[in-house]
Amino acid sequence: MKLDPKNLIGATALSLLALPAAAQDCPVKVGVLHSLSGTMAISETTLKDTMLMLIDQQNEKGGVLGCQIEPVVVDPASDWPLFAEKARELLTVHDVDVIFGNWTSVSRKSVLPVIEELNGLLFYPVQYEGEESSKNVFYTGAAPNQQAIPATDYFLEELGVEKFALLGTDYVYPRTTNNILESYLKSKGIADEDIFVNYTPFGQSDWATIVSDVIALGADGKQVGVISTINGDANIGFYKELAAAGVSADDIPVIAFSVGEEELSGLDTSNLVGHLAAWNYFQSADTPANKDWIAAWKARMGEDRVTNDPMEAHYIGFNMWVNAVTEAGTTDVDAVRSAMYGQEFPNLTGGTAVLQPNHHLAKPVLIGEITADGQFDIVSQTAEVPGDAWTDYLPESAVLKSDWKDLGCGMYNTETATCVQMTSNY
Amino acid sequence: MRRSFIARHPSVLWFILCLALFTLLVTVLSEAAGVGGLSTSFVKTLGKTLCLCLVAIAMDVVWGYCGILSLGHFAFFGIGGYAIGMWLMHARTGALVAESLSGNVIPPTETEIGTAIANQIFGVVGASEFPAIWAFSHSLALQLLMVVLVPGLLALVFGWLAFRSRVTGVYLSILTQAMTLALSLYLFQNDSGLRGNNGLSGLQNIPGYEDTPQATISLAFFWASAAALAAGYILLAWVVSGKMGSVIRGIRDDEARVRFLGYHVESYKLFVFTLTAVIAGIAGALYYPQAGIINPTEIAPIASIYLAVWVAIGGRGRLYGAVIGAAFVSLVASWFTGGGAPPVDLGFYTIQWTDWWLILLGLSFVAVTLFFPKGIGGLFDLLGGVRVPWRVGDYGPGKGAWRQEEGRE
Amino acid sequence: MLRTLLACLTLLWLPLGAVAQDLQAFLQSHRSDIADPSRRTIGMVIDDLVALDPPGTAAFLQAWQAKDIWVRADDGLFFRATRKSGNLLALHDIATGDRVADTVPGDALTQVKPNGGVRRLIGEALVRFQLSDPDIALRRDAVNAIANGLDRSQIVPLAASIEGETDPDLKARKEQLLTFLEARFASDPADRISAIEGMAGALSIEVRAILNQILAKDFEVAPTLPEGANIATILTPGNGLDRDTAYAALVTAGLARERIGADILRARLEAHIEGGAVGGVPVARLDTQPARERAYAALVAEGKAAPLVTVAAVDAALETHVFYEVYTEPDSTITDAARAALDQIETRVAFSQVADLTLDGISLASIYFLAAIGLAITFGVMGVINMAHGEFIMMGAYTGYVVQLFIPDYTISLIVALPLAFAVTFGAGVVMERLVIRWLYHRPLETLLATFGISIMLQQLAKNIFGTQARPLTSPGWLDGAWVVNDVVQISHIRIAIFLLALMFLTLLLVILKRTRLGLEVRAVTQNPRMAASMGINPDRINMLTFGLGSGIAGIAGVAIGLYAKVTSEMGADYIVQSFMTVVVGGVGNVWGTLAGATLIGFLQKGIEWFNPSNTLAAQTYMVLFVILFIQFRPKGIVALKGRAAGD
Repeated sequence: MKLDPKNLIGATALSLLALPAAAQDCPVKVGVLHSLSGTMAISETTLKDTMLMLIDQQNEKGGVLGCQIEPVVVDPASDWPLFAEKARELLTVHDVDVIFGNWTSVSRKSVLPVIEELNGLLFYPVQYEGEESSKNVFYTGAAPNQQAIPATDYFLEELGVEKFALLGTDYVYPRTTNNILESYLKSKGIADEDIFVNYTPFGQSDWATIVSDVIALGADGKQVGVISTINGDANIGFYKELAAAGVSADDIPVIAFSVGEEELSGLDTSNLVGHLAAWNYFQSADTPANKDWIAAWKARMGEDRVTNDPMEAHYIGFNMWVNAVTEAGTTDVDAVRSAMYGQEFPNLTGGTAVLQPNHHLAKPVLIGEITADGQFDIVSQTAEVPGDAWTDYLPESAVLKSDWKDLGCGMYNTETATCVQMTSNY
Repeated sequence: MRRSFIARHPSVLWFILCLALFTLLVTVLSEAAGVGGLSTSFVKTLGKTLCLCLVAIAMDVVWGYCGILSLGHFAFFGIGGYAIGMWLMHARTGALVAESLSGNVIPPTETEIGTAIANQIFGVVGASEFPAIWAFSHSLALQLLMVVLVPGLLALVFGWLAFRSRVTGVYLSILTQAMTLALSLYLFQNDSGLRGNNGLSGLQNIPGYEDTPQATISLAFFWASAAALAAGYILLAWVVSGKMGSVIRGIRDDEARVRFLGYHVESYKLFVFTLTAVIAGIAGALYYPQAGIINPTEIAPIASIYLAVWVAIGGRGRLYGAVIGAAFVSLVASWFTGGGAPPVDLGFYTIQWTDWWLILLGLSFVAVTLFFPKGIGGLFDLLGGVRVPWRVGDYGPGKGAWRQEEGRE
Repeated sequence: MLRTLLACLTLLWLPLGAVAQDLQAFLQSHRSDIADPSRRTIGMVIDDLVALDPPGTAAFLQAWQAKDIWVRADDGLFFRATRKSGNLLALHDIATGDRVADTVPGDALTQVKPNGGVRRLIGEALVRFQLSDPDIALRRDAVNAIANGLDRSQIVPLAASIEGETDPDLKARKEQLLTFLEARFASDPADRISAIEGMAGALSIEVRAILNQILAKDFEVAPTLPEGANIATILTPGNGLDRDTAYAALVTAGLARERIGADILRARLEAHIEGGAVGGVPVARLDTQPARERAYAALVAEGKAAPLVTVAAVDAALETHVFYEVYTEPDSTITDAARAALDQIETRVAFSQVADLTLDGISLASIYFLAAIGLAITFGVMGVINMAHGEFIMMGAYTGYVVQLFIPDYTISLIVALPLAFAVTFGAGVVMERLVIRWLYHRPLETLLATFGISIMLQQLAKNIFGTQARPLTSPGWLDGAWVVNDVVQISHIRIAIFLLALMFLTLLLVILKRTRLGLEVRAVTQNPRMAASMGINPDRINMLTFGLGSGIAGIAGVAIGLYAKVTSEMGADYIVQSFMTVVVGGVGNVWGTLAGATLIGFLQKGIEWFNPSNTLAAQTYMVLFVILFIQFRPKGIVALKGRAAGD
């Protein structure tokens, strides 16, 4: 461990005080790798602000290991190759101890090789498609079994949906999620011809034909439901067309995995009341912790700002990391990783998030109905569901298991009892 | 007439000299071979910039010399990247799969290995079979051939169709733009077999050199990029000099007149278009292993327009101008977007350059087009004392007509 | 302490309550089911409640459905609550509706939130209370609930309610639903057949749903066709039925042995490794499929494994079994009637689908036309490439958004926004023409680049001002909804409005260009500026106005596009390439050409989408490819100008 002369006195003083293990470089540096410009800026800037707020809050409490935490914010500008470059810069030039960042799957895939090569630590806060497990990444967002599968169960059991339209934007998250759902639905006895799949480009605006296709699905008398993995702006045209066609949630319910409080702010929701979304967090969750969180956020950012699921993921991830560092007595990546397993932290929606050995969280799954004021009315909340890196519903990955704690392997084949590979696939 | 090529074009010598000095400087400062003053990520940035310079000089030849404003050259760049990326992914995954399958009691069959590799590569996009376009991805030599062949053939076919039906001027520009759009839309589809929006990733890990630190690999690619740029520069300088160069510039200035003089204009244009496409493909093949990931956003129409922007700002019709433009704009861009530029406090408003940089670029672009049609390269004319007649807002061909020929057809 | 006491009291009270049929007591005995209802368990509770029918049941069910029921935390009692100001609630007694408490803080109670499925069940239970209710809204709810879940038990109450129905529309609807119910559930086959035949005239989704449900069928396999079953179709493997699927069905039915695939084969081999070899073949040699099969054959010969299922065995198994689909409805006269009715309907549905596709095509074409028409003027007539055209569309849309911020009434704001958007973009166009474009009139390639610079500037400026998140631009109420011809052919009002707007601008532009002084001057200047100038026309002024006009129309297009899709800083970029292609395909210099181009591209895209409905992206790709090829063969576009006007 190298000691910076100007920190020497402070460090010595600290080690004299109490903790011999706290011969820590002060300040502790936390990298924030979220796009501040480009197409993803709107979603990711919110997360950057969340991180800065969390770091400030922690510094007020005295930082970590007796050090103040210093955020290092870089802008990968929604440019995927730039994510890899900036991650390298954070780890080698700025020597950060941990990185919180990324939104899209492709940006994560871009960063993975760098993080694994340099043994960094990344907290990834967004719901994603699974089928990946990296030693150096903690996935604090939802895996498919924490969002897509419970939502489908809700459709099957609570709404009695018999025919499914899986609509998605053409990229990896909808593709993989829909693959998993298709095979899950078949295992539940839904026939091939009762599953309609459609992919549209990013930013699709012409939804007339697709909406009428979905309506026509009802012609054989089965209850139709739409599972939407439509991303971003395209949702606006889609919901507008749904409303124009007079499709109410009673006729054809739509459940979305990528529509949260932020997305609804671009829409007039009065025609969409009753349609659904599945997340691990809604702003409307009625708990004291959530009230404090929203109050702190609004005080910092303004009254009209909303909170959303990835923000909670960062909230849990950051606090767990702080606790793990405190427990390990160092910010060293390997030590922190071992200390992370089994970390518990209260959710904002009630209950406790527990970090699994597969680098995912156990979190409750919430289903909300859209209300006229652009919020969600929570109609279903499950117990904590542990995230599953490899889905059980695709034959190739059903045999795979991720356990970094005991097996030390992210891609363990339970049939042959061998570790398929140590690095993640990207 | 017997003076050597270099003697007739001293700028080539100067350029090569500068490039060599620069390469030496970077090597000395690099982490892998020198004092470590430059971080690996910056060496990668510089290496990538050299590749962009290479595609920029190709663009300069096609636009600045031949007068074809192609808004599709980044498509060729991307194709080159995809071609090399396919081999990199296949080989890297192949090594991983071989390692994991070696634990099996019974040795794997060819089909099993193939399926396992395909599963690894396409698992993330929900497929598990190799599409037909991956047929050659196991072989480095064949894929390298693809780097040259695919852009070359595409340019040849596209150019032949376009030039044959005498599509020129803005029509051609829009047509080339449509071509890039079609290609990027095609690649965005998961069914295209190139992993859709995710593209090919992890390209910085070179198979067979897993244990070599990235510092060394980045320096090697930097050298390779510098060498490619030097070679490309000499080749293109040779192409645009001499008689052929004169014909090419003649086509830019007045295509019909050159045709009447008996030259087969279409062949010249096709040659330039195809050659530059091939060079763009090579530049792409060197660029993407340094960037680490290639996906369809890279070849969206906007990328090709930026290419034209670089050349225009650097100065059209001179190769070093294109190099200066590409290097200057892309490095300045990364300085501004990387938060390197200090915010300007105006009292009532603080200018954050991450937000305002594009506005600055747009403005400077309009300014260059209007007031400095020669770009940054024009400064060298001042140095060399070259005086040109002052022609306000009138750079380029004929002034007689209100609407130029290129605007009509 | 108090709580335990209360709990004891409740327990004591329960048997009493059951006798007294008190609503609260019933609810208390099912407290957890009702407070946190699930569709699977609540059905029985609701049935019990309705059967018991204590006073206030209907009102309770309605309140429950509307999420107005709350549970008090201390004693678990249910209340109907109305929200007062802020977080305060007014509580009402569940059975009588009397006000119990006036201002109770919301924290002391929990809201009961039945989900959509439960609400539907409640609605069905409410049917019998509401069918003859004096309030027409409640009667409509009841009828909708019947339509959402047809059930045998509804025939009698529905039939009884028709007589007293006063509203003619609702009466017709009730009669229609009764026909549906009879077609499915009537006990006399003759009634059913006549009901089915009566449905043949309609083509609504509901009718098709009923007929399809009557025609529900199962896929089965057996050695011989069963006697007396109502067979729908007999399938032959290899012809309409995949051979692998057929064999898999045999395996599932236990009529054939499972085939041994490569994976199972390997697993069996692994299980029988002896001394580094399997069946005499060394393990190291097992890296090809034939070698593995040889080793396996050796195992079979030793009797250690079951033999492989040969191709011949599969063929034989498929030969000796019949594959067929059988109707779940045993009466073949009914299925025949339903089949005939459905066939008749489906022919008409096919025609309607073509009509619907045509409408969608027209709509898309009109959107493209509107986006491109401004460009048709600046590029088509003036020959100026304006890459910032898309950003003018965006500016128009944002103008609409800003106007809505100030004028909350959507109709008035739209009336204000349209001319304002024109004015704003007209101004922007004129400024741009004066500052940039007029210096570049004879350098089209550089115009392209300069306007591109302006385009990225405007886009970033919009991001800085409005943020990257999409902004809402809401259409007025009278533009909501759709024009419904039947369940297949329908088109939203907003699209019709866009179509009319496009038509209006086509006419307007034609009138301006052909019938006004300005139009004459524009045409003169574009054909020969020098000659026009010598005739006393000021070309500078004309160019400025023409460019402003083109830009202004783009602004109005922006409002229209924002209304039906989204308002973001990047919306212009989505349309720019499309617009250029529209103009180029249609033929430059002619408004009719743009119309033709938009029509061609719109219909083409819809057509390709129809062929490949699961991938809209592919449709766009093929469309662009087609346009590239089209321009190769008809470089001047569909409507090519001839003679001097063409400038040749």
